[in-house]
Amino acid sequence: MMSIRPDEIQGLKQAEGFLSLRGLTRRYGNFNAVDDLNLDVAKGELVAFLGPSGCGKTTSLRMIAGLAPSTSGHIVVDGHDITGVPPYRRDMGLVFQSYALFPHMDVARNIAFGLEMRKVGKAEAQERVREAIALVRLSGKEQHRPAQLSGGQQQRVALARALVVRPSILLLDEPLSNLDAKLREEMRNEIRDIQKRLGITAIFVTHDQMEALTICDKVAVMNHGRLEQLGTPLDIYEHPSTAFVAGFVGRINRLAGTASGGLAEVAGVQVAAPGFDGRVEVMVRPHRVSLSAYAPPAGDDRYALAGTVARATFAGDILEYEVEAGGVLMKSEAATRGGEGVLAPGTPVILSWHRRDTFVYAAS
Amino acid sequence: MTTSVKLAAAILALGLLTQGVRAQSSITVMGYSGLFQERYTKAVVEPFMRAHPDIQVTYFPLPSSAAMLGNLRAQKAAPQADVVIMDVSVSKAGTDEKLFDKIDESNAPNVRDLYPAARIPDVAGVGVTFDNLVMLYNAEAVKEPPASWMAMADKANEGKVVIPGIPDIQGVSLVIILNKANGGTDYLKDVSKGIAAMTEIAPNVQTWEPKPEVYVPIVTGQAVLGAGWNARAQVNNQTSGGKLKAAIPQEGTVFQINTINLVANGPGGEAAKTFVNYALSPEAQKAFTESMFYAPTNTKAQISPEALDRTAVKFMDKVIPVDWIALAKVRESIGEQWRRRVLPASR
Amino acid sequence: MNTLALPAREARGMSPAAVAMWLLLPIALVNAVGFLWPVVNLLRMSLNESEATGALIDTVSLATWRNVLTDSFTLELIGNSIGVSLFITLLTLVASYPIAIYLHRSSGLWRTVLLVLVIAPLLTSAVVRTYGWIAILSNQGLVANLLAAFGLAPPRLMFNLTGVVIGLTEILMPYMILALLSGFGRLDPRYEEAALTLGATPLKTFWRVVLPLTAPGMALGCLLCFVLAISSFVTPKLLGGGRVFLLATEIYDQAIVTLNWPVAATLSMIVLVLFGAALALYTRALRRIA
Repeated sequence: MMSIRPDEIQGLKQAEGFLSLRGLTRRYGNFNAVDDLNLDVAKGELVAFLGPSGCGKTTSLRMIAGLAPSTSGHIVVDGHDITGVPPYRRDMGLVFQSYALFPHMDVARNIAFGLEMRKVGKAEAQERVREAIALVRLSGKEQHRPAQLSGGQQQRVALARALVVRPSILLLDEPLSNLDAKLREEMRNEIRDIQKRLGITAIFVTHDQMEALTICDKVAVMNHGRLEQLGTPLDIYEHPSTAFVAGFVGRINRLAGTASGGLAEVAGVQVAAPGFDGRVEVMVRPHRVSLSAYAPPAGDDRYALAGTVARATFAGDILEYEVEAGGVLMKSEAATRGGEGVLAPGTPVILSWHRRDTFVYAAS
Repeated sequence: MTTSVKLAAAILALGLLTQGVRAQSSITVMGYSGLFQERYTKAVVEPFMRAHPDIQVTYFPLPSSAAMLGNLRAQKAAPQADVVIMDVSVSKAGTDEKLFDKIDESNAPNVRDLYPAARIPDVAGVGVTFDNLVMLYNAEAVKEPPASWMAMADKANEGKVVIPGIPDIQGVSLVIILNKANGGTDYLKDVSKGIAAMTEIAPNVQTWEPKPEVYVPIVTGQAVLGAGWNARAQVNNQTSGGKLKAAIPQEGTVFQINTINLVANGPGGEAAKTFVNYALSPEAQKAFTESMFYAPTNTKAQISPEALDRTAVKFMDKVIPVDWIALAKVRESIGEQWRRRVLPASR
Repeated sequence: MNTLALPAREARGMSPAAVAMWLLLPIALVNAVGFLWPVVNLLRMSLNESEATGALIDTVSLATWRNVLTDSFTLELIGNSIGVSLFITLLTLVASYPIAIYLHRSSGLWRTVLLVLVIAPLLTSAVVRTYGWIAILSNQGLVANLLAAFGLAPPRLMFNLTGVVIGLTEILMPYMILALLSGFGRLDPRYEEAALTLGATPLKTFWRVVLPLTAPGMALGCLLCFVLAISSFVTPKLLGGGRVFLLATEIYDQAIVTLNWPVAATLSMIVLVLFGAALALYTRALRRIA
């Protein structure tokens, strides 16, 4: 690994994290798979790369691992620019979506592979393999071939194989997408626990917002190769900086309107929209929209809208209404508490939501 | 019921009728493919059919005598061929396997005019062509006809010599010629002198298995000297415009005999004997010699002087007599010496 | 599935095992007529004897077998054939492997074009291709002229073992490439990437991951090429110049030139035994790999 003179690249001066991406770009012809990605990950942090398929999150991960070349930009780890370093000298642990366990080796030899390549002594290697197998709770399966293991077990072997070499960064490429829903939740927490226990810096690529929000310290939302927003799960959810983030993370009502003089008019309601002019999109999450028979008291910082129930959907834990109001359909949902009745379609209702739950974006 | 009987009767009658109208037999002659087939058909088969309009002759070509024997063995229970033209040693094997009927004056009167060499003891067939080993040379590279077979051992000809090696009988023939030239007496007892002479030639040999035939590399200039059969050499001399020439060196030559054989229980019956007798007749012998330059086996054949010049007839004093039947018994031992001594010298 | 299969079974009155038997019948018949029967005939022929003239003696004896097996030339032939065939197989493997890997990794139209190029030689007979090699390797051929242009004396490339090895290697390469490709199913590029990220250099990745994963394809290709090499006689005949002695060429000579069919049949049976040995070795190797 070569060190970088501080003045060498302007962007590197601001490299603050343990892992810093500076202007990282991958171009295929005219298409930017990853477009000018700038990102800092602090030591011991678990950061999710979240986005729809084709957003560039996996390409970014592969560039960090050294498996895909970058067109321009830099990857800096602990002050060293590793952009041109081949993958086998990068000291990264990568867990593949398909696990990619060597089918011709048993569990123990799969896990020992990285140690062997690093020429770790036999006794130490054995001890570390044993520890890693214990860490992922697979003791007793040492002699099994990957094909003899369940999906979850293979996932654990892949994790142990990546971790046993004590990499500086752990990279996880959609590690849970091949597991069933129940196992996915279990493994997600297990990955989180192990990562925290080892204090390892990790990047977790996923298209599942639940995974990103629940276990990661920070979430980087990506779209069309660009970073839309980097923030804590709370930030991302409560203060989405773009319409895409608001729409991609969690469910949302999207209302079209027009803004002028700091106010936007949507579905007959005036919404505060400082700094906006022209066509806007106003968004509010369904579970932040309450539904009642009366208008909220004035001065309650709530927007209100009268409408009629168009459809009621009872889903057990929540009750969802679609309400027709001011010429648009709006969703409102609330957790069921028991004892409430379900309003029939046609029932007149008042919808209301808090000002701070209202997101306004310029229409694209 | 009655209609079908009538129908069957009608078909039967029709069959008898057509047979009556054709009133001819057909025979199958098995022989070498390629050039031999082409020339033999023109010189012998077609004139025969003109002379015998009632006999239809089909020429069944095969690449080698061994292939013919293989066919005959497979057809032993129900022969398809009537007449076979093949090398004398193979026809000896066929005779021993009782595949042939004996040909003599009684079923082919022309046999009485054949040279004695064409009547081989213990072989059912009789000689139909004589051929002899010749030294082949590329006339562009070699101006004078080589005087000795040992010109092939000349250092100047390194990698330029092609000889069909043992087990091919051309290789055997060469060993016998050189054995006699170097003082050997009975080739059936000892060919070591011939083998020793071959080891001198061996280092110069380009290939012991010239393909498709030994004449081709000499014509193209890929090789300069070689050993081959006279008849084909003469035809190649004509077709190559003189690029390939043939000579009989001082050490002499040996005859190769093709025999004509009558297949036992062949389907053609008497017509087959008629054909055999014609093939041995002076006119057929003359026609084929003038077409392909095999020496005739019939003493009465009047060959044109030009054609005669291309055969070995004028060099009978140079012909070393070979008993191919007796030789067959020691062929394996000659082959063994060839493998152990000649081939290692040619690597 | 089961509920669907049941009525069909009743309607036909046939168990799945019986259906399988019926489906296997045609190939069993073809094999019996096209393979087993000729082999039985060969075996029978090897029990005959031959006179020095080539005349066949119809008998039942082990004399031919005894003669063949006690002849030192036979042992030399067997040794030569195995050695030369193994060498050619190895050379074919080394020459074909990179091509097969490249083909495996290419895609789309390019892959189709390359595959056609690989298969195309199979559409031409080995005889024609061998004549092609004669044109290239002869002492007035392409290679000799090229070497002469650099002032080098051309070595003998043809009418010896070198020519046979070159010709057969090229002729067998399509078979090897196709066998390798068919065995490359397990070779997912992710495995190589995993090895790389675990610190394995590309060379180590090849030895520890790519090679073991492609071993079944290599075993299959080697079996196929060994069997084809040991049984080929056209190319050794045309390019060997009468200097290369192999079982197949000797069988040809015995059957076609010397007319000793019993010896030819006996040697053929020996080749068949060698095939069996190669197949057994392959099966064992495959079990160890898997």
